[in-house]
Amino acid sequence: MSSRRPLAHGCWRLAVALPLATAAAAILIAHYVTADAQSADQLTVYSPQTFYAIPLLDVKGQPYVGLVELLEPLGSVEARSEGRKYRLHFTLPGSRPIEAQFNEGKEKSKVRGSSFFLPANFALQNGRGYVPLSSLPEVLTKLLATPVQLHASAQRLFIGDVAIHFALELDKSASPKLVVSFPSRVNPSIATEPGGVRFTFRREPVVSSGQDNVSFNDPMITGAVFNEHNGLAELDVKATVPLMANFADGGRTIIVSAAPLPPPPAPPAPTPRAEAPAQTAAPTPNLPAAPRFMVLIDPAHGGSDSGASITPSLLEKDVVLALARRVQRELASRGIAVAMLRNSDVTIPLEQRAVAADAARPALYVSLHAANTGRGVHVFTSLLPAANLQRQGFLPWETAQAAFLDLSGTAAGSVAAELEARRLPNATLLAPLRPMNSIAAPAIAVEIAPPDAKVEDIAGAQYQEQVAQSIAAGVAAVRSKLPAVRP
Amino acid sequence: MSRRLLIMFAVLAMAAIGLGYYALHLKRKVAREEQVATGEQMAVAPSGNGPPEPVTLYVANDSDGTLRRMQVEVALPAERSERSRAVLRSLLAQYLGPSSPHAIGGGSDVRQVYLMGDDTAIVDMNLAFAEAHPAGVLAEELTVASVIVTLNANDSRIGRVKILVNGQERETLAGHADLKRFYEASSIGQIVKDMQ
Repeated sequence: MSSRRPLAHGCWRLAVALPLATAAAAILIAHYVTADAQSADQLTVYSPQTFYAIPLLDVKGQPYVGLVELLEPLGSVEARSEGRKYRLHFTLPGSRPIEAQFNEGKEKSKVRGSSFFLPANFALQNGRGYVPLSSLPEVLTKLLATPVQLHASAQRLFIGDVAIHFALELDKSASPKLVVSFPSRVNPSIATEPGGVRFTFRREPVVSSGQDNVSFNDPMITGAVFNEHNGLAELDVKATVPLMANFADGGRTIIVSAAPLPPPPAPPAPTPRAEAPAQTAAPTPNLPAAPRFMVLIDPAHGGSDSGASITPSLLEKDVVLALARRVQRELASRGIAVAMLRNSDVTIPLEQRAVAADAARPALYVSLHAANTGRGVHVFTSLLPAANLQRQGFLPWETAQAAFLDLSGTAAGSVAAELEARRLPNATLLAPLRPMNSIAAPAIAVEIAPPDAKVEDIAGAQYQEQVAQSIAAGVAAVRSKLPAVRP
Repeated sequence: MSRRLLIMFAVLAMAAIGLGYYALHLKRKVAREEQVATGEQMAVAPSGNGPPEPVTLYVANDSDGTLRRMQVEVALPAERSERSRAVLRSLLAQYLGPSSPHAIGGGSDVRQVYLMGDDTAIVDMNLAFAEAHPAGVLAEELTVASVIVTLNANDSRIGRVKILVNGQERETLAGHADLKRFYEASSIGQIVKDMQ
């Protein structure tokens, strides 16, 4: 018995160690698999000028926000880290620069020369500065001199007086209707499901109207529940019957009512009737939406795909996102509708970019790149043999751009002319660039290189602003030649 | 503890030791292969037994984004695909030299050139060619264009070219230039005219 004891003891160790090792491996795998999902946490920011989402970074269990990513859509940002110090110059359009200073691992910070304390330590990672999410109302109010509201648990930030409150009113007639009124136009996504209809507001800063859970004491439309989470707002209308929603008042009112019952099955044969036919409502013509001229900006790379390393701390994905936001502002100031394929540091595969671009049906697709090869700006169109393809219906995926080469060339030439007018070195070239060949719309790619021997100047505000103005002016100049597209 | 349980633990322990030994063996094997591959990658000098012959190279220049035509003397093998490989290796040698006008990945090499039919060449580059290539639309385009137009300049029958990396199809060279497609030498010729 005694001779078996050590062996048995070792076996028990094994018996404990094996499950522990398995559990540890499982935890590691689970952590690896879920790491990307965790990093997908985003803060949705609403300001009077724009709407965007930025990633949240987990620092010691607390959500943090990158200062440059937060401020870039709002104005011009220049930031640099000097040892443990992080200096930031932020300029609102038409205003003077504001200086801010933060210190890695410290709460004490300074904006406009006055000191204040963050609720937790400032963080520096790879030369980027991060502040705690909960500090945003104070930090932004000091920087922007405007009130800022944070709905921390819902990951939504409201800059200025942008919040949209709504009102609910139930019309209890024979066929009850719920009228949801907004002070401005909204365009939520609508999902009808058994037991109700759900409106999801991602782009609109819709907030609670004071009553988040309303009961209507109606046999058909029984209540409405409002909630915010994960950077969006949802309004659930509960019902005992299938519902349908209609927009009215230019998109400022949504009318929810019972969906019409399906028509009875058609009779086997028409029966001649002597009496006059019953009056039926004329079918509402399904008018197509008006054509609109929309430019889709695709800041290349993002997330795990950094693109070119301009310098060890200056990545292509960041340079082009900053440039894209400037182009967005310049286009918007010229009255041109703009959509961004990405507005934060997220990974989007090349094929998915083409799918998203083609689904958006832009009048022009502009892909933005940055590199340290050569000088100035290169404007590219697709290297494909021209094809006289129909622009309607299906196009071959790998050569969809072939049908748009003429218009793409026109847009590229116009942007190059504007670059020339601003005395920026430029060249117009063909390129075998992915995913341009699969874009079923006029498409150009713009790659910026440093303007001079100092490579860091590629991210300089003055250079980027000149390039952005050239792109926007070039697009505006050919607007009449590029066909507007029906959404 | 029952005898059956002891036997099970013994078997598991032996399996764990066996797997550990196998993992160590695999690790050493991979290290050996990497060493061999690195040795191969270092040997970029063109190889050929024949007398030196004039070869036309289209050499990219990063400073002004151009492709420049130049002539060098290279000893070329007799076999057609081997000749193309030697031509491309002499092009890469221009880029890997100390006064390189165009940056490519250190250790870049041509593994093989396969000729399909009379007019199609499949160029199989090594992993370093793509993994260490500087990223950028222009930088990658210059490399792809110089490879294709150099092949065509020295064997005019080659009209279509596809580039593989380490024997595999790859989406892009370094995030920009399309490597999934076959390139027509004539359309690349248009780029070269623009870049000269």
